[in-house]
Amino acid sequence: MKENDPGGARGGVGTLPGPGAPAQAAAGGARRRGGRAARDNRAAYAFLTPWLAGVLVFTIGPMLFSLYLAFTRYDLVSAPHWIGFDNFRHMFETDPRYLKSVRVTLTYVVVSVPLLLAFSLGLAMVLNRGLRFLTGYRALFYLPSLIGGSVAVAALWRQVFGEEGIVNKALGAIGIDHGSWVGNPGSALYTIVILQVWAFGSSMIIFLAGLRQIPRELYDAAAVDGAGAVRRFRSVTLPMLSPLVFFNLLLGVVNAFQAFTGAYVVSNGTGGPSDSTLFYTLYLYEQGFAQLNMGYAAAMAWVLVLGLAIFTGLLFLSSRYWVHYGDER
Amino acid sequence: MIHLRHATRRQVRSRARTAPGRGPRRPSRVAALAAVALALLAAGCGQRMPHHTEAELQGRGDIQGSIRFSWWGSASRNDKTNEVADIFEQDHPGVRVKREAADFSTYFNRLNVQAAGRNMPCVTQLQARQLNDFTDRNALLPLDPMIESGAIDVSDIPEDVLDTGRGPDGKLYMLPTGIAYDALTVNASLVEEAGAQLPPENYDWEDYGHFLESLRDGLPEGVSPANYQGGLPNFFIAYLSGLGEDLFRDGRLGFSRELLTDYWEMWVHLRDEGVTNSPDEVSEEPPSPEAGYVAQGDVVSDSGPGNALTPVQSALEGAHPGQRVTTLPLPSGPAGTGNILVSSGMAIPRNCGNVPTAAAFIDFWANDERSGDTYASDNGAVSNTRLLERQLNDPDLPETKKHELTLYEELVARHPENVLYPPGYTAVFESAFTRAFEDISFGHASVPEAVDSFFAEANAGLAN
Repeated sequence: MKENDPGGARGGVGTLPGPGAPAQAAAGGARRRGGRAARDNRAAYAFLTPWLAGVLVFTIGPMLFSLYLAFTRYDLVSAPHWIGFDNFRHMFETDPRYLKSVRVTLTYVVVSVPLLLAFSLGLAMVLNRGLRFLTGYRALFYLPSLIGGSVAVAALWRQVFGEEGIVNKALGAIGIDHGSWVGNPGSALYTIVILQVWAFGSSMIIFLAGLRQIPRELYDAAAVDGAGAVRRFRSVTLPMLSPLVFFNLLLGVVNAFQAFTGAYVVSNGTGGPSDSTLFYTLYLYEQGFAQLNMGYAAAMAWVLVLGLAIFTGLLFLSSRYWVHYGDER
Repeated sequence: MIHLRHATRRQVRSRARTAPGRGPRRPSRVAALAAVALALLAAGCGQRMPHHTEAELQGRGDIQGSIRFSWWGSASRNDKTNEVADIFEQDHPGVRVKREAADFSTYFNRLNVQAAGRNMPCVTQLQARQLNDFTDRNALLPLDPMIESGAIDVSDIPEDVLDTGRGPDGKLYMLPTGIAYDALTVNASLVEEAGAQLPPENYDWEDYGHFLESLRDGLPEGVSPANYQGGLPNFFIAYLSGLGEDLFRDGRLGFSRELLTDYWEMWVHLRDEGVTNSPDEVSEEPPSPEAGYVAQGDVVSDSGPGNALTPVQSALEGAHPGQRVTTLPLPSGPAGTGNILVSSGMAIPRNCGNVPTAAAFIDFWANDERSGDTYASDNGAVSNTRLLERQLNDPDLPETKKHELTLYEELVARHPENVLYPPGYTAVFESAFTRAFEDISFGHASVPEAVDSFFAEANAGLAN
């Protein structure tokens, strides 16, 4: 290998000096390589800077600032005033609405995520049966996912489940008389759950892709062993799909904890009726931007981050018992 | 091969550790980048507050350059507002009014964010109910020096009306330009159809109850005599005002628990008597008066903005052709009228860098006849009496608008109480009030429990 091999500075596997190269030449080569590496680094930093600046200015900086604000009283205009852990104490000791918002959010997560998974998996299995026009169905069922999180659909939801909405009209046709679904605290939250489940397209597509990867011979072998449809689902489909169930579960939980638009639009931003749709993020928004308790809102945001981290960690811990990646020995 | 790969990785790692200028410099580069980013962040977080000269604080100086102007409202109001701003620009070549319109429901949240960035528009429309959210944070300039210097003329605005734009320190922070009042909006056609009479002049809450009962049996199916509005703060303020009680005292609730208990029990009684619609229906009623139940012909009477009579009539005409709606003062009490005035107006924030032009714009809006004629009391009756008379004398003024403005004159003549709304009024008081009554309506709390939780939440929130 020549010491001035232009490829030498590229740092590739074959460019390192051989054991017999003269020491001086090796030192010179190292200096040149060092200089070239430094130039490469500078170029890399130059290209990275816009992204890095974006992350620092728009993500890490605000996050650190909000961590500081979490320990202050801050009304958005006056300077923040350090109050230690008072915001956190208020949250858990003297703010009944905070606990209400936690309860509403947990109910939403616990109800909506399993429903979403079950519905999208069920539909994926139906679509996996080799239907005609499968591509058309897939596109059709995916559509709600594209628009499900929009304000327009949430506003439409308010009409659909209102006193005079289409749901009550349909129920009325079969003799069932029901009041407003969004106006009643007993049912308002569940209209938002339905809105979330309705946007099942993304998880359905993922399940469908997973189902198509399951080897046919596993089902054949199970059938030979006398397994019925339920047994085949439990012993073949579910274990083979478990990484995707885990993935969808994780996404669903994280999304559900941060749900905002549906509750904001359906309740006109109040979390009502009677705080029945007071989602965590909605209450956080109300504290920060309506009541101008930005310090308290920041504290709430950090508790949410911690809560989500713990929840996600528990999911990962539990995954070793029920998620099969196919490489177990 | 495996051997070579391992050896190579070790060497590469070793090179990376020993390469000149790598390890030791990395932290300093990261630190430098972080410093730059944080500086950018700090710079982007907010603008510097401008230093105003004495003359600027008096609104004196060249009327030139650009100002930003923000308001809330519907599409038709936006058109009128733009037209007024256009006339001002024509009068002052070289001046540009940059406009920022928003829906009422989102307007104040946006303003709060702008206030945080010291980026409020030079002419900011405010309402008396939210005014002290901003005076409390020292975000607004007092307008008194501009009035004293003659930059803003208030000689045609009644003193009672002007007072609705004052902060707790007595200084004028918002020039009231449009004065709204709440009124009892009644579907007169349905009252007639039910064979009942409108409440008598100076009627009180008992009379209102009798009026609702007289409607109960004569209405078409599905139409209720009243909205179940025990959770509507404006109705309660009318109740308090009629009793001569204070809404707030020293930044806390100024009335007793017993009084609120009586008020909410009165509403529960009305519900039990079958003269209101259901809580479900009330909680899903759209917020705009045009989409409300009175405007749709589903409810006979409700408290609503008096200046919404024209659009409500128009919506009712669309839903039930031929039906007619009218407005009455809210129920009175032993201490007199239940009505109060709620003004909207214009303020100049401290962050404004072009105060003379902002003051000129406000003066133009409040006093110029073209402005008054164009805006046509769209957001409450125009506060300037000269402009108001001009509108009332206009033979082309629609009948409903004439009724709105005449009722306003009648209410002003009664010298209604001026409520000084504390900071956090809307976010704390209104929100907690409505929610506590919802708890009663849906059976989550008894009246005394709801009163207790409302007092606890409202007083704690107002103290903050």
